[in-house]
Amino acid sequence: MLLVSVMWNRYHIWPSQSTTLTSGAANEPDQPPGGLPMTATLAAPSATDPAPTPVKVKKPRKYNRNEAIAGYLFITPWLIGFLIFTLGAMIYSLVISFSHYQLATNTSRPAGLSNYQALLEDPKVLISLGNTLFYAVLAVPLEIIFALFLASLLNRVGKGAGIFRTLYYLPKMTPAVATASVFFLLLNGNQGAINKGLAVFGIQGPQWLLDPNWVKPSIVLMTLWGVSGTMVIFLAALKNVPRDLYEVAEIDGAGPIRRFWSITLPMISGSLFFNVIVLTIAALQTFDQAYLLFYRDQVQGASDSSLFYAVYLFQQAFRQFNFGFAAAMAWLIFVIIMLISLIQVKVGNRFVYYESER
Amino acid sequence: MKKTKQLLLSATAGLALVALAACSGDSGGGGTTGADFAKDYKGTLSVWGFENADEVGTSRLDYAEGVVGKSDTTVDLDASAFDAQKFTTRAAGGSIPDVVQMDRQFVATYAAQGLIMPLDKCFSLYGVEPDSYWYPQVVDDVTYDDAVYGVPQFYQPPAILLNERVMAAAGVTDADMDTSNPEAFLAAISKMTKLDGSNPSVMGFDPQGVGKAGLWMLSFGGKTIDADGKPALDDPNNAKAIDFLKEIYDAQGGYANAKSFVDSFDVFGDNNSYVADQVGGAVFDQWYVNVLTPYADQVQIGAVPLNTQDGQPFTVASGTSFVIPTAAKNPSAACAYVLALTSTDAWNAAGEARDATTQADESRHGINAGLFTGSPENDQTLRDAYVKTTDYPGFDQAIGTYYDVASSGQSFGSSPAGQQIQTELQNAVTSALLGEKPSADALKDAQAAALRAYDQVAG
Repeated sequence: MLLVSVMWNRYHIWPSQSTTLTSGAANEPDQPPGGLPMTATLAAPSATDPAPTPVKVKKPRKYNRNEAIAGYLFITPWLIGFLIFTLGAMIYSLVISFSHYQLATNTSRPAGLSNYQALLEDPKVLISLGNTLFYAVLAVPLEIIFALFLASLLNRVGKGAGIFRTLYYLPKMTPAVATASVFFLLLNGNQGAINKGLAVFGIQGPQWLLDPNWVKPSIVLMTLWGVSGTMVIFLAALKNVPRDLYEVAEIDGAGPIRRFWSITLPMISGSLFFNVIVLTIAALQTFDQAYLLFYRDQVQGASDSSLFYAVYLFQQAFRQFNFGFAAAMAWLIFVIIMLISLIQVKVGNRFVYYESER
Repeated sequence: MKKTKQLLLSATAGLALVALAACSGDSGGGGTTGADFAKDYKGTLSVWGFENADEVGTSRLDYAEGVVGKSDTTVDLDASAFDAQKFTTRAAGGSIPDVVQMDRQFVATYAAQGLIMPLDKCFSLYGVEPDSYWYPQVVDDVTYDDAVYGVPQFYQPPAILLNERVMAAAGVTDADMDTSNPEAFLAAISKMTKLDGSNPSVMGFDPQGVGKAGLWMLSFGGKTIDADGKPALDDPNNAKAIDFLKEIYDAQGGYANAKSFVDSFDVFGDNNSYVADQVGGAVFDQWYVNVLTPYADQVQIGAVPLNTQDGQPFTVASGTSFVIPTAAKNPSAACAYVLALTSTDAWNAAGEARDATTQADESRHGINAGLFTGSPENDQTLRDAYVKTTDYPGFDQAIGTYYDVASSGQSFGSSPAGQQIQTELQNAVTSALLGEKPSADALKDAQAAALRAYDQVAG
């Protein structure tokens, strides 16, 4: 349960991160985007003050005590859920990572650093990490480009926009298992529709699911099909770009490409940045697609090239009952994801335009 | 502001710790000493297994439920597939069933972790002698550290199921399909195979090289698990087996092309590979004969055993078993129940039920492929009673072959890292067949990984 919650916590991260990235940075640029006291900071006077004075006001504006209490009461259910199922679970998994733990009997004995040492000694950790990073580098840019492309198309549709939006969002609603089954057939090297289609143009398609070089591109293809969540965020951002900017630029003689680079892209950079971070995290945690295509039953071999980090983590935990090692793996990927996200934030802040900033 | 933050932070930490304590507060239960089983029991018995049970399953379920029902015990059945994660979380939550059905190759792993009970006392209580009641190789599958941890059911021996129509068209006879004569065997495969570029449209022979990797290693005199339960994947004979498999696939367009072709088969459907003449022969467990019976008029099958390199018929034991978790609440009832499920009376009921459907269901063409119970005595009784000569000599011959080969079965051996050893072996075979690594290197890497897994569980 604990490991799984770490693996899947991307679903929890999404909404809270979006608020942190936008409102947190916009309202109080001088404070690190913190998590919990968000509701309080929104009411802080400094946020709207155009010229913050260094002189400290002796008596800061008092909160309405009752309102504050009510506010905390309202968020209590979430707070309790977060503390027990996210933070509590994470701390517990950290404890587990320093022990030899057996979930089924809830027994453990201390392991010191040996689980972390084993991470270094097990070549499969590095192989799976390499596979996962390679996949992320391949998948994230393609997802961004494809989602933006689809969103631009949808943005142009006038009549029946709702229908198209719904249709294009359907893949997101499809269970991963169904998607994987369909792609298992589509990607068959001999009889699959994709290679049959390529054969019409005289192209001999690859053995998508078997050739070690094509395993990860196959999963990228599957991911691209389900990119509609990202697409919808882009679509909302595109709709928010003020029309008059385009009109002015057009009068000045800017062509469509120039307009895209100089107006669209800066104006949607906030959601672009958000999507990059979220997709990177998701890519590094890829589990279901790889598991369903290559590890769904146990009489099937898989080459090392399809071993994703989360799949190996799952195998260690629930196939080999190696929970301590799996917890250490979870923390390693957590730290890696955090570092990558930090770098992305540092780099991103240089390019991202927030409307409320000057 | 600052104070509020501090307060919140400390509250957060405090609450998280409380949650932590709540999680870890449970006492570490579950020793490895088996419970004492008794003949008097009552209450409820929760059972997990029998997903999609057919008449063979339901008739035995009914029988066993009747047996424990006499002692005021009601059975609560969760008819879903075994799942390691579900087992673990249910055990952690204290709601583990009293009886769990799992594949025999997992048993040693769970035994080594102390999650299931040794059943020797259960057997002796009811006077069952495992080694004489079941095939010894079947009992070996569920033996760990000299104790028997599972009650076996079924023994599905694999053999080579032939498509006589494809063979005859290419001038291949049953005698050519002899794995102990590699040259003639490969020549026969080439004769039957039809390639469209490098993609096969007819495969002479599907060895199921990855799914049945263990069978191939053992048939070449290799091994996957040694006598102590340690992995033995780097046995030199294993590499020979992989090289032979590679030759077989290379004669049919290479592994990737052949595998994609096999993946596209309609295995359980109207256009299966024996109806559609897509294979000349393939390694299949005995149950596949049942899949083919509705198509008896459309197929011409036969069977030969897989031979060792010195020409002896060979097969391996595989099937499922019932285990009793260490934390089971009603082990005595569980013991009585699982022995009832696998008793001669239960199998007789299953034989009757199967016979009834064979008679009633016209699509079965009167073919009863027999039941492979895991117990030689029961197998023979049921064969004598229900497996009759039919209008389909090919089916009769194939069924007879499976019966004959059953006695030459070997166990893969049992190991606390059994699952991981099989997985590593299959990965190594895949890598070698795809040409990623030479077979010896692939096996060496697999051995290292399996040994790591073994050391973790054993150490």
